[in-house]
Amino acid sequence: MERFSRKHNASAEIFRRHRGDFLIVLFISVLMLLGLVVIYSISPALTARINAAGNTLDQNHFMYRQAAYLLLGIAAFVSASLVPLTFWQKHKGKLLVGALLLCLTPVVFAATSLALCTNGACRWINFGFVTLQPAEILKFMLVLFLAGFLAHRIQERKLNDLHETLIPLGVLLAITALIVVGLQKDLGTGLALFGIVISMLFVAGLNKRYFLFALGGVVVAGLLFILTSTHRLERVATFFNAGDKDATGYHINQALIAVGSGGATGKGLGRSIQAFGYLPEAANDSIFAIVAEKFGFIGTIAILIIFAALFLRLLKVMDTAKDRYQQLLVAGVFGWIFTHTIVNIGAMLGIFPLTGVTLPFLSFGGTSLLFILLALGLVFQVSRYTTHQRTNNGERGARYEDRRSRRGLSRPRYASPGRY
Amino acid sequence: MNLSLLRSDRSHTIIWIMVIIGVIFIARLFYLQIIQHAYYEAEALKEHETKFTIQAKRGFIYAKDGEKNTTPLVLNEPTFTVYADPRYVQDIDKTADTLRQIAGGNMIKDFEGLLKNKERQYAVLARQLNKDQADLLKKAQLPGIGLQTHERRVYPEGQLAAQVLGYVDTEGHGQYGLEQALDEQLAGKDGLLKTVTDVHGIPISVSGHDVQIPAQNGKNLALTIDRNIQAYVEQSLKAGLEKVQARHGSALVLDPKTGAVLAMANYPTYDPAKYYEVRDYKSFQNAVVADPYEAGSVVKSLTMAAGLNEGVVLPHSTFLNTGSTRVDDAVIRNVLQDVNGTRTMTEVLQHSLNTGVVHILRQLGGGELNRSARNKLFDYFSNHYFFGKQTGIEQSGETTGRIISPDEQEGNNVRYANMTFGQGMDTTMIQVASAFSSVINGGTYYKPHLIDGYLQDDNQVEKKQIEIVRPDVVKPDVSTNLREMLRTARAKTFPGVDKPGYIIGGKTGTSQIIDPKTGKYIDQNAIGTYIGFGGNSAPQYVIMIRVVDAKSAGYSGSVAAAPIFADLSNWMIDYLKIQPNR
Repeated sequence: MERFSRKHNASAEIFRRHRGDFLIVLFISVLMLLGLVVIYSISPALTARINAAGNTLDQNHFMYRQAAYLLLGIAAFVSASLVPLTFWQKHKGKLLVGALLLCLTPVVFAATSLALCTNGACRWINFGFVTLQPAEILKFMLVLFLAGFLAHRIQERKLNDLHETLIPLGVLLAITALIVVGLQKDLGTGLALFGIVISMLFVAGLNKRYFLFALGGVVVAGLLFILTSTHRLERVATFFNAGDKDATGYHINQALIAVGSGGATGKGLGRSIQAFGYLPEAANDSIFAIVAEKFGFIGTIAILIIFAALFLRLLKVMDTAKDRYQQLLVAGVFGWIFTHTIVNIGAMLGIFPLTGVTLPFLSFGGTSLLFILLALGLVFQVSRYTTHQRTNNGERGARYEDRRSRRGLSRPRYASPGRY
Repeated sequence: MNLSLLRSDRSHTIIWIMVIIGVIFIARLFYLQIIQHAYYEAEALKEHETKFTIQAKRGFIYAKDGEKNTTPLVLNEPTFTVYADPRYVQDIDKTADTLRQIAGGNMIKDFEGLLKNKERQYAVLARQLNKDQADLLKKAQLPGIGLQTHERRVYPEGQLAAQVLGYVDTEGHGQYGLEQALDEQLAGKDGLLKTVTDVHGIPISVSGHDVQIPAQNGKNLALTIDRNIQAYVEQSLKAGLEKVQARHGSALVLDPKTGAVLAMANYPTYDPAKYYEVRDYKSFQNAVVADPYEAGSVVKSLTMAAGLNEGVVLPHSTFLNTGSTRVDDAVIRNVLQDVNGTRTMTEVLQHSLNTGVVHILRQLGGGELNRSARNKLFDYFSNHYFFGKQTGIEQSGETTGRIISPDEQEGNNVRYANMTFGQGMDTTMIQVASAFSSVINGGTYYKPHLIDGYLQDDNQVEKKQIEIVRPDVVKPDVSTNLREMLRTARAKTFPGVDKPGYIIGGKTGTSQIIDPKTGKYIDQNAIGTYIGFGGNSAPQYVIMIRVVDAKSAGYSGSVAAAPIFADLSNWMIDYLKIQPNR
């Protein structure tokens, strides 16, 4: 019976589309709206500083921009939930190479107006009216590629094969790390990529020994990376003895002041003072500290709860995904958003070094928001084809009971595989 | 094998990781937002709240310009101090370059060294920037660099009335003259603003805890001094002094009808805008109020007024002038020895007869120089003429001078005989001129003053009440008689000098300077004084001139001081457009 069932599974099972997980939509909507409201309330303070230097921005400039990004993001979400996953699966290699080349663009064209560089790190492509951070595209494409690649290897039962899987994977990741961390000097994106890869490998079921080996390798590489640059060493040193001698120390200190001065209930929506130039990147990387200042402990706990709920939904979709490809896709998106969230909030709380990653859904910022929503669109699509079957029993199959193996007992009528 | 129906062991691990991180985050948030809240709130306030002093505007000083108009003598202009908070300076080289470009000449030495010293929170980098430089610096928006605004006094009329005005030092305190005497009124009261600011120190209206105490600006003074009279007096004084090569001179023009000072000048003077270049502090002093001296024979007119008012002499009373008179063990001589014989009181003033005023003193004692005579003269000098007391004019450093009372051992007959002609007593010009005004204006002692009122925002002067110190210094008819006597005396001494058709009277005085070391007179250094009045049936002005250490031959009261009086008197008649008497 089991055997039969598995054989059938592998052939041409039809998965019916059902209602997607609208709780995901609800949670991200709440977070995005909250971000919009916070950006709306600090927009006058931010524009006032820019205008003092001779510009004439509308005082709601940041709110309008963010609203536009949100609309664009929603469009991305909807289209990603509609475009068949096979499209991404088919082109995953080309897309990844394209993303890597995009990441190289600002480095190669550093001297031209096409690249936007700060402190020698060229991370943005400048199209004049809009800037693009290719590292965000890379995260998206890496998730797609790894999902396809790993699912394929799982199917071939070569996941833990050194030559077929691990060495090619290691080479790919080394190249990616070189471009992102080495050339773009973007430790934040590096961390996010690390989070994506780790969670995907973990969910894929990489052999524990290999897994720990890879983890250790990345940690050693990271340490070497930090130790070989005095600049990065200083940054880490700053983190460990927080003063405000340099920009990073100042940033952390101001974030702590914002969080701490918020107290239990916060200063109120319109009463953030840290946004008036004290806290750098108030609308982007530091928005959590602003939220903490405005809404206090109650507000920050509420946000943590919403994020936690969102993550639980993602994990649920992951666990019930139709196949390993989709499961790995969700694992990658989860790793991406989860890493962003904890790295960002951790930095604002002074328990993680400052690396410049955005807080998903709340932070002001185009590319990051756009591609996270695009990725979530894929997750939503996956959530419409979930089964009640456990997904990661691929190679061992018989370990878990399948409802289809108990036909007639608890078989839901609507979920009939339709093989008569 | 069924661990759970929906969760794989892998997502279990992930959930556990989430829980651990969540607990760490919540604990950290609890620590920061609840336990450490007070600390961070204090830190935030320390960083956000700034106290601004709202500087009160120091009052301007205006002079009269003719009958109705006013003209500024002292105004303010903003000046800026550049300071740095080196902790927030980002690019030291760029900051230093920009500062040097904008305010190169004003930068202090080694300001770059100050910029580099991150231990300090405040370092002054440049002073006395003008508004254009300050605007450029503001536009440059250098982090860690700030501007403080101060006000600097400016003097549209240059040196005019310098000693009367005084100056304001770098700390903002008035020194000398009006600036010191009325420092509090001029300074006003600084306000305070305690508010939350943005990172550049610009106040933002977020918290409700702002404290604001508005500044009270200083009062704008409207002086009784007329800039035209003052300017002419200064010019005439300077010319007169140069003619006789005198070391120092002062001039005072009073309105005898009110006690208002129309002009008050000293030479040499100084430039209040460059007060820091002055080496001799005496240049700052207004000698008219600050330098007591023996006024000499000009006091005879006051002794005469006392005699007339007591009814012991009349203008035509006579006495026998023998050229000298003995008082106890001293002999008092006249200067002119060819006018002996029977002389009238008018001739006493005309020839400046010392024996004549000693005669009046004796008459005050009922015919002999006794305690009663001394008491009466002391009463006049002290309680009618207010010698030995400050007049209360709005000037710093006013001295009282000194007259010796009959109660003192030194207040003997010889001293009192000398005091009748202005020796053996110290008076300031303002005291003598105010007393002189009171005896020729009908007998009212007006408090001499420089402040006409306060200029309001609508450019109207809120007049100050004129103060009468004593309404009955002498009787009105005594005043009339004295005027006629002084007119006759002047007309006979200086015939043809004054404009015809006006009543001009006056009295000379020449005294010696007492060497402050030895207490003896120095013959070579004389002080010449002239005091007189002019007008028609009513006197319109009183002018007093003092010339110190004139090098020309003759008595400096007549030779050095009187010509300056004549020049000013004639000019005043034209300037005031006084109607002729006949």
